[in-house]
Amino acid sequence: MKPESPTPCACGKNACDETRPQPEQNSRRNFLGIAAAGMAGIMLAPGVRLIEIAQAATPAAAGASPKVRWGMLIDSSKCTPGCNACVVGCQTENGLPTQPGPTDTQYIRKIDIKEVRTGKTASLPMMCQHCAEPPCVDVCPTGASFKRADGIVLVDKHTCIGCRYCMMACPYKARSFVHEPLTHQKPDVPRGVGTVESCTMCVHRVDRGEQPACMVACAAAGYNAIVFGDLNDPASEISKRVAQFSTKQIREDLKLNTGVRYQGL
Amino acid sequence: MSLARLFCHAALLLVLALSATAQASESGVAQATTGRVAKPIIEPARGDKCVEPAQDMRRNHMEYLKHQRDDTMRGGIRGAKYSLKTCIECHASQTTNSVTAAPTNFCISCHSFAAVKVDCFECHATQPASKSVSFMPLGHPTQAHGVLSNLRRQFQNLAPLKP
Repeated sequence: MKPESPTPCACGKNACDETRPQPEQNSRRNFLGIAAAGMAGIMLAPGVRLIEIAQAATPAAAGASPKVRWGMLIDSSKCTPGCNACVVGCQTENGLPTQPGPTDTQYIRKIDIKEVRTGKTASLPMMCQHCAEPPCVDVCPTGASFKRADGIVLVDKHTCIGCRYCMMACPYKARSFVHEPLTHQKPDVPRGVGTVESCTMCVHRVDRGEQPACMVACAAAGYNAIVFGDLNDPASEISKRVAQFSTKQIREDLKLNTGVRYQGL
Repeated sequence: MSLARLFCHAALLLVLALSATAQASESGVAQATTGRVAKPIIEPARGDKCVEPAQDMRRNHMEYLKHQRDDTMRGGIRGAKYSLKTCIECHASQTTNSVTAAPTNFCISCHSFAAVKVDCFECHATQPASKSVSFMPLGHPTQAHGVLSNLRRQFQNLAPLKP
């Protein structure tokens, strides 16, 4: 290679090193370019190229797509105080305790809030907000807390050591720790002692093309307060409503870009 | 007299010898089937054929499961070849409907024999999903439930106004 000029290129000068013709480098670059183009098209056998074998070897597995961002929109004006349908639906689907004590697992809970000055009240479900920048993932020492390509935040219980750091990092109190050994778990929802867990956005249902249990339960109760869908797809109902109505993220000041949004707060 | 006694002794000896050989042959058959250590009882599976030959599965099932669990958990790839859920659906005992409930059940039988602790079932279900449990009773695709409960609520609200 040609040694570099001791002084850096002075931009604007006509006699700059970069603009000077360099036949030696150009020819080498040309050769490499031609060689690379040739390699891609090399025929291993008549009609068989390396690139085609590589493409065939990686099957089009329908996994979590990075083009998708699953999210929920909760209309708190439709959500009613005293209604517990989403919570019950979640417990039924995931095999959670139906009367959770203070240290038992909850994936979703109902909260009633009131603005002190105006007295306006609202009732809404609170669960894992599936942040784009999840603090629980940042703090996890083992990498067990992770965000899937489609934006769903999960705990890999194979690597969770139960340190509960993520529970402290979460601003939404969304996570729970399993204190006691469990039996009779749901086949789709493995849960075990010594691990942290939280709302999975019913990932096993979403992967089947179904909707989360809380949304189904809310619709079955006749409220339709929860909309689930792909925030990246402009044609989805959730995207249309997010574009049309003013929606809020809880603790928007933390700039976590939550996947769960609230309308009518 | 002495001749009769001799015959009697001979007959007794013959009987004893015959019974001894019969015993020896019986014990020999028993040893050939069981050996010195009792072999694990492998309960028959429900399906026709495993995803891999039995020899391969005995040696490598943990590798297959471990490899695929990360694809499923992290990548969301479902329905691949080696799934613990489908293992259990096929190998759950006909009597206990589980792979670990009794000492003879599929997973626990071999793992006890090999003295290898199996941690899977601290979290994973040991029984296949029953149809009634997997059914979601709260909703229907047509949303008829929602319309009905909405109507019921409206009538409940109206009821105090009527009298």
